[in-house]
Amino acid sequence: MAEQLALSVRGMTKSYGKVRALRGLDLDVRRGEIYGFLGPNGAGKTTTIRCLLDTIRPDGGSAHVLGLDPRRDAVAVHARTGYLPGELHLDDNMSGEGQLRYFNALRGGRASWAYVRQLAEQFDLDLKRPIKNLSRGNKQKVGVIQAVMHHPELLILDEPTSGLDPLMQQVALRLIREARAGGATVFFSSHIMSEVEAVADRVGIIRDGVLVEVAAPDSLGARALHRATVRFHEPVSLEGLLSVAGVRLVSQDDDTHVTLEIVGDMSPFVRALAAYPVRDLQTARPSLEDVFLAAYGHTQI
Amino acid sequence: MLTHFRYTLRRMRGQILGWGVGVALLGMLIIPFYGVFAEDQAQLMAMLESYPPEFLAFFGDVTDTSAMTTPRGFLQYYFFSMVPVLAGIFALAAGSGLLAKDEEHGRLDLIMAHPVSRTALFVGRVLALAAGSMAVVFVGWLGCAIVLQGSSMDIGAGELAMAFVPVLAQIWIYAAMALLLSMLMPAQRFALMVTGVLLAASYILSSLGKLNPNLSAVADLMPYAYYQGAAALSGLDWGSLLGLLAVGNLCVLLAWWRFAHRDIRVVGEGSWRLWFPSRR
Repeated sequence: MAEQLALSVRGMTKSYGKVRALRGLDLDVRRGEIYGFLGPNGAGKTTTIRCLLDTIRPDGGSAHVLGLDPRRDAVAVHARTGYLPGELHLDDNMSGEGQLRYFNALRGGRASWAYVRQLAEQFDLDLKRPIKNLSRGNKQKVGVIQAVMHHPELLILDEPTSGLDPLMQQVALRLIREARAGGATVFFSSHIMSEVEAVADRVGIIRDGVLVEVAAPDSLGARALHRATVRFHEPVSLEGLLSVAGVRLVSQDDDTHVTLEIVGDMSPFVRALAAYPVRDLQTARPSLEDVFLAAYGHTQI
Repeated sequence: MLTHFRYTLRRMRGQILGWGVGVALLGMLIIPFYGVFAEDQAQLMAMLESYPPEFLAFFGDVTDTSAMTTPRGFLQYYFFSMVPVLAGIFALAAGSGLLAKDEEHGRLDLIMAHPVSRTALFVGRVLALAAGSMAVVFVGWLGCAIVLQGSSMDIGAGELAMAFVPVLAQIWIYAAMALLLSMLMPAQRFALMVTGVLLAASYILSSLGKLNPNLSAVADLMPYAYYQGAAALSGLDWGSLLGLLAVGNLCVLLAWWRFAHRDIRVVGEGSWRLWFPSRR
């Protein structure tokens, strides 16, 4: 079983002073899968990743990456891993190419430069431009390329699509799928539910430093949270809407203007709403924090 | 390790050139003046004797002002007494920023995720720091040696090189202390500030210690007290040199231990608690 796991974490704890970032994290990622690590900001995603890469040391618990202890065999783990940090900072005085050649030199020149150029073309990235002249999105492209250019066995990506425009987000997600198709395991963190749903085989949900659930991406859709603001032509009774399963009243300005929260499938709500004199309807997907509050409430885990 | 060495040295090239040329320019401005002073020694002596001893103390030995009129004395008083302070600023910036700068800018996190051990990274960068320090001294020496050829001083380039060896020892100890403090303190700027104060205090206390015996006990703890300057033209003080080298190397060793055992910071992290070793 252990050799089928790309990542294995048991009871990991990590504190920054009085702040307990990880509070006994247990995590298993199978080889060859795309594992989405989902959680709101401050949940412990980045701390987990940095412990797995031995850039920070956990206070307790154990971790195995590709069967190796990252504390004892950090160099071997890093040789087989590609990493994209959540907050990418590159050397402003280098060009994109210079930066990538430096990272490649650190890996003993394992990457094929033809592949690097191909990736740069896919991302529409000019490697000759100095890093300091690149936009945040273009810097992120350099970051994604350095993570995948040596065809790692394990990709650890912290918010990989951060800063990319929607088109380039799709390119990045396609690269993730391609890496998996090539046999790699992908562990990526995100706080964007739709992104995780789109590519992950399994999703781990972390909150307050503890893994609260491991689920199939499809099941996330079933509990997707929507917020609907409805304006009616005339005062109405909301009984018919609130009797629909998963619908909750958030606020009511007067009898003609309400905000509702709908968990799961929207269809029953839309059908019930058809019976009302609707003047205007606006829907939005709330933040992951709101989804978490709806799913897990305010209880301390 | 070679990649780290090359990368670090490449990034330091501006600093090396800037401070090296700075030291060279100081020498190139001072050395030609010896001919003028040598022609009118009586006037020079009268001027020196009019200076208060507290002022002369900053230029070296105050017991014998006549020594200032010799080539060795002239170089000591007007050039070598100041060079450790000038080159010391390079040492503070280069030493404190060797790892902490990349760390505070969030770059070290990604570098450390590559297949390089902390020790290899540390050693590669420290070797680059040592090479950079030597390069600063070399550029400084080269500029002075060129001007020396056309001066009336009877000092060869080889002899002059000997006088730069104690300068290198001073650079090394300040760079090593700045590196150690940057590993212990939560921010590079604190390390820079503390070693900067130490550099200034070392120069002032060691200079005034020659006049006030009460200060000499404190001054003896300062690196500048073990600086030979132009006295090295007539032979190196190996005891002082090896002592400074040993203390510098001890600082580097402690910095390595700290770096190997602590969390790598990213942007916005860092607190005074980092001093305490992990309980694990």
